[in-house]
Amino acid sequence: MIKVTYVAHDGTETVIEAEEGTSVMQAAVSNDVDGIVGECGGSMMCATCHCYVDEAWEARTGQRSDDEDEMLEGAASEVTERSRLSCQIKLDPSLDGLVVHLPEEQL
Amino acid sequence: MALAPLDGAITLDQLSSDPYPIYRRLRAESPVLRVASTGRTLLTKAALTKAVKDNPELFSSDDPQTPMKPAFRAHTLMRKDGKAHFVERKAISKALTPKRIKADWGPLYEQLAEDYIARLPRGETVDLFTDLCGPLAARILAHILGIPEASDEQMMRWSQLLIDGAGNFGWKPEPFAASDAANDEMDALFAELEPIRRVEPDGSAYSLMLTADDPIPMSQIHANIKIAIGGGINEPRDALATILYGLLTNPDQLAEVRAQEAWDKAFEEGIRWVAPIQASSRLVTEDTELGGFDIPKGDTVMTIQASANRDEELFEDGESFFVFRDKNPHQAFGNGPHHCAGAHVARRTVGKIILPMLFDRFPNMSLPNPEDVVWKGFGFRGPINLPVVLN
Repeated sequence: MIKVTYVAHDGTETVIEAEEGTSVMQAAVSNDVDGIVGECGGSMMCATCHCYVDEAWEARTGQRSDDEDEMLEGAASEVTERSRLSCQIKLDPSLDGLVVHLPEEQL
Repeated sequence: MALAPLDGAITLDQLSSDPYPIYRRLRAESPVLRVASTGRTLLTKAALTKAVKDNPELFSSDDPQTPMKPAFRAHTLMRKDGKAHFVERKAISKALTPKRIKADWGPLYEQLAEDYIARLPRGETVDLFTDLCGPLAARILAHILGIPEASDEQMMRWSQLLIDGAGNFGWKPEPFAASDAANDEMDALFAELEPIRRVEPDGSAYSLMLTADDPIPMSQIHANIKIAIGGGINEPRDALATILYGLLTNPDQLAEVRAQEAWDKAFEEGIRWVAPIQASSRLVTEDTELGGFDIPKGDTVMTIQASANRDEELFEDGESFFVFRDKNPHQAFGNGPHHCAGAHVARRTVGKIILPMLFDRFPNMSLPNPEDVVWKGFGFRGPINLPVVLN
């Protein structure tokens, strides 16, 4: 199992454990983490699973793709260089302990 | 394993007039059921409908053999999968993102809503379905798409004719003749506006698609606008009418919604309770199984979002309109790659702008005879009248 910490916009932390191969979005949705909607189920069609990867983990989560970049352009909250669509971050052992921050709003 | 049971009793008329008691029974007794009158295998549990929508390889939208193709005179993105769908979807979805809708379009939506609500007479009985819900949805959509030159009447008529054609599973000639005439009118208007939208980009869907670096073919630009016309008027119209009905028949909840300004919650609950798009079809690409039954390749399954949205496993007393649910994981916008592209527009216009504005202007609005409201529809559903007194 891989540990992920979601830090809500108000600072509330939720720690969950997820199976390898699931995405940061799926892990949030199946554990009822508020602040990630993920309405399209990970098809990169809705931009409602926006997150900011914690600085310490940025290098390990990889780069966003061009399509992801375009979809993020439309996200409801501010997009920064650490913005990702959490459906595009797949959990593997190198991400055990990952910390992501959640935006103020997704819709 | 065996094939799903076959039902010969449920009629299309029953499904159109009052499907919910049937769905409730099916969820309990036969959540996977071949219903002869529909020619489809109906799926009525939330886990099944979601699993199907989330697996486009096995449950494909790509079905060129539906009446949608002649109705739209195109193979549209609604009936494509994978990259082909993604490219066309991306071309139009840029006009529909949360950011764009909030920052660029918000003031215009507010102005349009104000204009249309200001026209309504105070102190009289008004059918909001015909006098507000439809025309305002049409006007907002015309602007988003970049064809504000089209009248409300044209937008609503085109929309209905496209829908009628796409639902013409009896392949009768008249609905296609009518949709052909509508297609001619739309194509003529699009052609007339093309040079203007190219030279003066305005952020509308048409303009963005025409001026993209790597534009999709003109045939698909037209098809995308038509899909948005066919799929972007009745849904916000029906959503608005449904939510108003829910709030006006539950005055306690309305009072609480006003106190908390929980219009967004009211919006989500309205579309959960009676989803404007109740059902969708998917073509099975390989032999598989669902809910313990064999589902053969070539079968068409129908996900009943309407039923998923009242599934006892997800919702307590899902049959009732109750705005203040803890969680509302409804599937009214679908899920998977074909997740409603207009979801953000609908949430903003109906949920954040129109509802609060309407109750602000008519704080004592009432629905004296809820029993007069007629609900209709199997694939699409909502009230077809909403006689309210505006005060």
